[in-house]
Amino acid sequence: MAEKPPPKPVSPRDWESLTEDFRHGGARREKWSCLYPSLAELALSSILKKEFPFKIPLVIFLDEFSHLLFPSNSISSLLDRLIEDLRTTVQSPIDGAHVNYALKEQMMVSTTSILISTNSVETVEVRCTAALVELLLAVINRPNHGPDRHARAIACECLRELEKAYPCLLSGIAGHLWSLCQSERTHASQSYILLLTTVIYSIVSRKLSISILNAAVPLIPFNFPQWILGPEKEGSGIGIGLNYKELRRAMAFLLEWPRVLTPCGMMVFMRMIMPLAVALDLQPSMLKVQFFGMINSFHPVLCHVVLIMYSQFSEAFNEKEKEIVRRLLFVSLEMQQYLVFRLLSVHWLMGFLNRFMEHGVEMEKKSIIKMGFMFYPHLFDPLSLKAIKLDLLAFCSICMDALKAQSGSDMIVGEGKSVVKLFQDGLISVSAFKWLPHWSTETTVAFRTLHKLLIGSPHSEADPSATNKLMESAFYSHLKGMLIDMILEFQRLVPVIVAFVDRLLGCQKHHWLGERLLQTMDENLHPRVVIDYRIVSYFLIFDRIAENQTIPPRKLLGLLTKFMAFLVEKHGPDTCGKSWSHGTKVLGICRTMLTHHQSSRLFLGISRLLAFTCLYFPDLEVRDHARSYLRMLICVPGLKLRGMLNLGEQLLGVSPSSHSESFFSMQSPQQYQDPKKSRNISLYIHLERMIPLLVKQSWSLSLLPLGIGNKSKSFGGIRDSEASIDERELDASIPLRITSGDERVDKPWVPLYVMDSKVSEILEVLRRHFSCIPDFRHMAGIRIKIPCNLRFDSESFNHVRGGESPKSRLHGVEALPALYATVLKFSSPAPYGSIQSCHIPFLLGQPPMSDYIHDETASLDIDATYVGSGEEEAYKAPVAIEFEPREPTPGLVDVFIETYVEDGQIICGKLQSIKVGIEDLFLKAITPPDIPEDALPDYYLDVFNALWDACSSTSNTGREAFILKGGKGAAAINGTRSVKLLDIPADALVHATEHYLAPFIVSVTGEHLVDMVKYGGIVRDIVWKEEAFGLLLDANTSASELNRMPLQLTFTENEDERGSELAIGKRSMGCIDILIFLPPMFHILLQMQVSDVSTLVQIRTDHWPCLAYIDEYLEALFLT
Amino acid sequence: MAGDCSIRAMWILNNLRAVVFSRRFPVVEKRWRAACQNENESSGDDPVKDTVFSSLPSDSELSAAFSERRTREGSVRGFGIRVPQSKEGSDSWVDDPITRHIVGFYINSEEEGENNLLWPLALHIKGPYCILILPSVEPKHVKAYARLCKRSDCGNAVMADENLSSLLLDLPSITGAFMVAYAIGDIVTGDVAEPEVVVSQSPSVGGLLDSLTGSIGISGISRAKPIAAPVASSAPSSAAAVGTLAPDVPKSGSRLLDKDALRSFISSAMPFGTPLDLSYSNIFSIKANGFSSLDIPPQDLKQPAWKPYLYKGKQRLLFTIHETLHAAMYDRDEIPDSLSVSGQINCRAELEGLPDVSFPLTGVSRSKIEVLSFHPCSQVPEQNVDKQALMFSPPLGNFVLMRYQATCSLGPPVKGFYQLSMVSEDEGAFLFKLHLMEGYKSPLTMEFCNVTMPFPRRRILSLDGTPSTGTVSNTEHSVEWKIITSGRGLSGKSIEATFPGTVRFAPWQTQRSTFFMSVLEGTMDDDSDDETENTNNMANTEEFLMEKMNKDLPPVDLEEPFSWLAYNYAKVSFKIVGASLSGISINPKSVSIYPTVKAPVELSSQVTSGDYILWNTLGKCPSAVNASVTQRFSNGGCQASMDKTY
Repeated sequence: MAEKPPPKPVSPRDWESLTEDFRHGGARREKWSCLYPSLAELALSSILKKEFPFKIPLVIFLDEFSHLLFPSNSISSLLDRLIEDLRTTVQSPIDGAHVNYALKEQMMVSTTSILISTNSVETVEVRCTAALVELLLAVINRPNHGPDRHARAIACECLRELEKAYPCLLSGIAGHLWSLCQSERTHASQSYILLLTTVIYSIVSRKLSISILNAAVPLIPFNFPQWILGPEKEGSGIGIGLNYKELRRAMAFLLEWPRVLTPCGMMVFMRMIMPLAVALDLQPSMLKVQFFGMINSFHPVLCHVVLIMYSQFSEAFNEKEKEIVRRLLFVSLEMQQYLVFRLLSVHWLMGFLNRFMEHGVEMEKKSIIKMGFMFYPHLFDPLSLKAIKLDLLAFCSICMDALKAQSGSDMIVGEGKSVVKLFQDGLISVSAFKWLPHWSTETTVAFRTLHKLLIGSPHSEADPSATNKLMESAFYSHLKGMLIDMILEFQRLVPVIVAFVDRLLGCQKHHWLGERLLQTMDENLHPRVVIDYRIVSYFLIFDRIAENQTIPPRKLLGLLTKFMAFLVEKHGPDTCGKSWSHGTKVLGICRTMLTHHQSSRLFLGISRLLAFTCLYFPDLEVRDHARSYLRMLICVPGLKLRGMLNLGEQLLGVSPSSHSESFFSMQSPQQYQDPKKSRNISLYIHLERMIPLLVKQSWSLSLLPLGIGNKSKSFGGIRDSEASIDERELDASIPLRITSGDERVDKPWVPLYVMDSKVSEILEVLRRHFSCIPDFRHMAGIRIKIPCNLRFDSESFNHVRGGESPKSRLHGVEALPALYATVLKFSSPAPYGSIQSCHIPFLLGQPPMSDYIHDETASLDIDATYVGSGEEEAYKAPVAIEFEPREPTPGLVDVFIETYVEDGQIICGKLQSIKVGIEDLFLKAITPPDIPEDALPDYYLDVFNALWDACSSTSNTGREAFILKGGKGAAAINGTRSVKLLDIPADALVHATEHYLAPFIVSVTGEHLVDMVKYGGIVRDIVWKEEAFGLLLDANTSASELNRMPLQLTFTENEDERGSELAIGKRSMGCIDILIFLPPMFHILLQMQVSDVSTLVQIRTDHWPCLAYIDEYLEALFLT
Repeated sequence: MAGDCSIRAMWILNNLRAVVFSRRFPVVEKRWRAACQNENESSGDDPVKDTVFSSLPSDSELSAAFSERRTREGSVRGFGIRVPQSKEGSDSWVDDPITRHIVGFYINSEEEGENNLLWPLALHIKGPYCILILPSVEPKHVKAYARLCKRSDCGNAVMADENLSSLLLDLPSITGAFMVAYAIGDIVTGDVAEPEVVVSQSPSVGGLLDSLTGSIGISGISRAKPIAAPVASSAPSSAAAVGTLAPDVPKSGSRLLDKDALRSFISSAMPFGTPLDLSYSNIFSIKANGFSSLDIPPQDLKQPAWKPYLYKGKQRLLFTIHETLHAAMYDRDEIPDSLSVSGQINCRAELEGLPDVSFPLTGVSRSKIEVLSFHPCSQVPEQNVDKQALMFSPPLGNFVLMRYQATCSLGPPVKGFYQLSMVSEDEGAFLFKLHLMEGYKSPLTMEFCNVTMPFPRRRILSLDGTPSTGTVSNTEHSVEWKIITSGRGLSGKSIEATFPGTVRFAPWQTQRSTFFMSVLEGTMDDDSDDETENTNNMANTEEFLMEKMNKDLPPVDLEEPFSWLAYNYAKVSFKIVGASLSGISINPKSVSIYPTVKAPVELSSQVTSGDYILWNTLGKCPSAVNASVTQRFSNGGCQASMDKTY
């Protein structure tokens, strides 16, 4: 690791920093790794140096890091060296300065430790360990010798560790050890006793048949026993069994001396004696007599020893339970004791009682458990102790409850005390919880106890009887009453109570309990809460109630509505901030409800609340939010709504991944845009006309606008519909036919024409008519609406977006993808002016075809989708393309979409363009407002007649300019005529006309035809003329007659046409007059001369370019 | 041999969270690893397997884990009980106050990966140091704990299959680890005082003057430098010094960690990680003095391990009954006053050889002793109702022979009331009316008596008022009234003292500590909304002020009995000598020593005040339902065995 190996340590200071590095670990230790074997060598030689003050720490260092410092490749030589060092140290005389007992003892300890932890018996040869044992035995073999008594004790400990590491290592010399143990009388005797005990323990646990009285084997030299090295370590050396008699004698000897042991020594001793007693069939009562008194000691370790003894020999310690319980309680009372032991003693007691409840004598249980009630917390007990004592009380009451379950009495504990009383008593010791702030420790402890008492017993949802029992218990009813009272009285406690409920809710076992509590609160709180500003402190609870699906939200909504009303009422200059803050909080709860409940369940209440807020709340932001919630509530289906409102928390049943980005917390969405995925969006997002066009051409004839600049009146030509024109260019060249009309005003007057009364009447009608037409240059023009549907395919959407298939987890509506906050922007090369964009808050994807079998959708082409069922409608968003045509011409509207998908990504791109047909532009003529309803048909007829006349090529009105609405612009009529022969039977024509042109019919003439149309019932409120007059005339004549044209000549284009006209005339049934207004200010007049087998349509218009479309339209209408 | 009190490692951290001392015990560690291996082999695919940390962390890893826990748990000790901030898998998730003492760390190490649970660590905070002891337990216990602190349900529920209580009952090594932690703590801070034994040289003479001049505390006879010889070493010179007084060496609290002392203590007390003897004084006298060939062991007895040296010199036996009186004085009808005595008998037996001492305790029945517990060297007495005989084989030096809890057999030495009423937000009128030593007869002497009114959260501007007796002084945050100053003890009569006055405070300032910023952010905002509302509704100044002040009240540690800052009270401190208040006593004449030896027996008593609180009668005060133990056990009769089988 290190680039350069560090210098070898020499001075004590070097060694000290080295030691620090090793302890610290990581890189600091790593840098020494290259020196590992030589480090140990260096250390070992330093230990023997005379003048070296850092010897003991160095030895400890070797000990602690032997696994690093004694690598396996050089371990053998290093250990030899170590043993040699030890021998030198132990045998050198004490000189007070460089060799002292401390060093000798540490050397013994560390050498032993190193040999054990490097597992030298297996890794090296046994000789090292044997040499060590021999050395140590030499040390201990001088009982009662004065000065080195402590070193002997340490040597015994070393031997004991070796024996523990290699059981039965010393069993061969057990006899010697026993006699040494007998003779030793200094304070080191503890170590001798423990050593002997350990040797006996391993003999017994290995079932070694060996005589421990036999001292025939010499102590020194030490022979490494074969059973440690042998292949089957367990079996070898085993005879027929244990030498019980000798072992019992040894036990008797050992049990004589417990009083010389320190408490720690006693612990070690007892841990071995107990299994020995079992193995050797000793009377446990003997142990009881000998050791039970230790429970009265204030040394915690001794108490614990007794407890362990009890758990091993509980039968023998029968009837001692009371004393044990009493003692443990007393330990907890001892003020002089360290707190942790007081806490531990209560824990021991609970563990003890727990076991006693399981295994104890049935008769005794009650009286033992009762003792637990003796210990109420004391005033000056630390809170942790109070808490744990309260735990104990709860524990006992629960045990009592379990014991009394058979007898049926309701939770009567102690001396007739109920749990309720117990609990009330208990709470007094932390009584301050009521008025201290909710974060105070007292409060936490109090609620913790409440929790323990409530849930302590293992009630489970699997067992409904337990549930019911708890619900009916006095404690529960007390508890809920108490909680409600507390909420009302001490509002500061609300957060704690909420935390309490949360904790119950958070546990799968007690979830129902939390819900019950919330239900109770919902039931009891609302009637008692006073509506004022302080209600805010309950909002935390309301939030939980709102979250909970088991609680009907009606009550809470009612309360919140009242509160909103209160806020509105109290609003004033001082309370602005308050209104905002409280209003926002209320909306927050509404949001919680919307996220957690079925919308249908909430709808009524919450929409009322939101609507009220929208309308009356003083704060703008709150109003705004309320409005958006309301909007979403109405537009977005439940689950998606919940997903959108979710602010990141996980909802039940909603996968978090798809909703991790919430609708509101979207940040810089642009970066999510994926152009690849947006490219083909027209494949799966469709904007479709609701009413399909009749003319299904894939191209559109579009006229280049008549430019002002060149004033050329030529056709622009026919262009492919895909050809796009720069929008700006279009804007600049808005076809202002109207200006040409104006220009005409300025033109030199053409020769005057005669104007008779009829003409002036016509002019009158026309002036009136045009004065109603808005002039789009100066005011809002006439708008055309094209209803469309936006929909998208879930399947291809998911496919294209490459998202995970949501169906894997969800189903039905929930599985479908959705688009959020969609904006549709429109533009058109046609002279439609600027088209307003359209906003769709939410749209659900259309389920795959297979998911819902629907005949219409099977051929989901362009046509007939409008008749789709309601279910289908859920996947469509109605969109209206609204524009103000500058010129009545069909065209294409290009659609651009920008929308968000659930993961916050933006999709944007172009959709299929929407075709605008000429029929979209058909409007009824605008009527002046002063025309009464019943006079309308006549008015329409008048207008029709006037226009019919004006549009005739011989019209006298040609030079007249009609002032438009607003008075700034004027229009002139420049009429054109055309005819069209339709080879269809009369009834087919009437049917098609009724279907498509009914609104525009102004009159029907001819008895037969009138009958036909009138009784169809579709065409109403028009002028019916039953007189047969003129019907036998030819078309031109009749037309002129009808228009009351003063002077006209028959004008025919060619002979063929004329011939056919004559052919029809014979069976003529009547005429249908149709007046169509084409925004911005043009007209189409149709006069259909109906006969049995064909119909001649006379067409007149003041906008000649539209004739081409009309022709096509009529063909599509009638001939296909 | 699992289950003995072995220790795998220990660390001492300073207040900068850096490890200043660490010690690992490879032999124990080897056993632990073997156990881990066994466990892994036996328990196939246990999900908790990975969470057990099978090796020992280095110092840096431990220090990192310590800091991490501190951040996670809010403080070094932690929340202790489950609070909203508790995280699953952390100690406070277990919801038991003992997790403030027995802690678990998550170790991130390079070798073993992340978040390995290291449990249990006995945490002891002493002075600037945090002592962490890692006892050896079985891997299955660690796993059990890991499950406990990940359990999704409501924490350590009682009667669950797996609970912390049963775990602790099964693990004496944790108990042992705490014993080690306390011993180490005393050493690192140099706080190795022995119990106090008071020598009164002329006990026959009573009265105030005598007890003042005569009683001299020889506290901490071996509190002298750790290296210094304790009382009864073999050297005759030091033995001679016993009669005179050992100088009270000033404690050096701020000294550097004495690593050598620590190392040598560890090598003797637990050479291989298993504690054998944690007596500091014994170990240091052995280290310092060693043994000479003159130290001859007793002939027919084994010398106990806890008594490495035998006393030689003039023989005598000293007892001091030391009682601490705790009281909560309410002066209200609905709450009874409570007085409790916690006492101990300290002893110093300067006796040669290994004698047994026995004596009957008198006054035990009268004084309603509730709890008795004894030094390990004593044979537990037969706890008859009238007579408690106690036998013990005394160790060297001063030791606590027994401890007890009792009720006060006399009336309260300071009786009366304290009233404080806030006349405005910043001014309070108070009145004391106290009776001292009512019904107390000679030789009971009150050496001094002070009354303190603490106002830790308010700054005192001025104080008006004169007491009927004694002197008054005030600091910024408290008022002290010295009723009886030392040197003018009160004996044989009672006095009455009154003290009316007013105290004026600086205007209350909101002191939002960092605690509120960090822990309670968010929750505080809500309150600010209601402030104006509250002002209007608050009826009186007192409540309003309290409301206002409580907003800044920090939560107390679980080691406190309650939030002291929330209350107004006066604390009384005094010292009474002459007899015990519980009525417990030793008759020097009936003390017998076996083998019989002539040794004078001296007895002294002193009573000091613990928490002796006069609650403001006009304010709020904490209380508790008192369940008297004695009454409940009176018919139970506890028969302790009288063991004499050695």
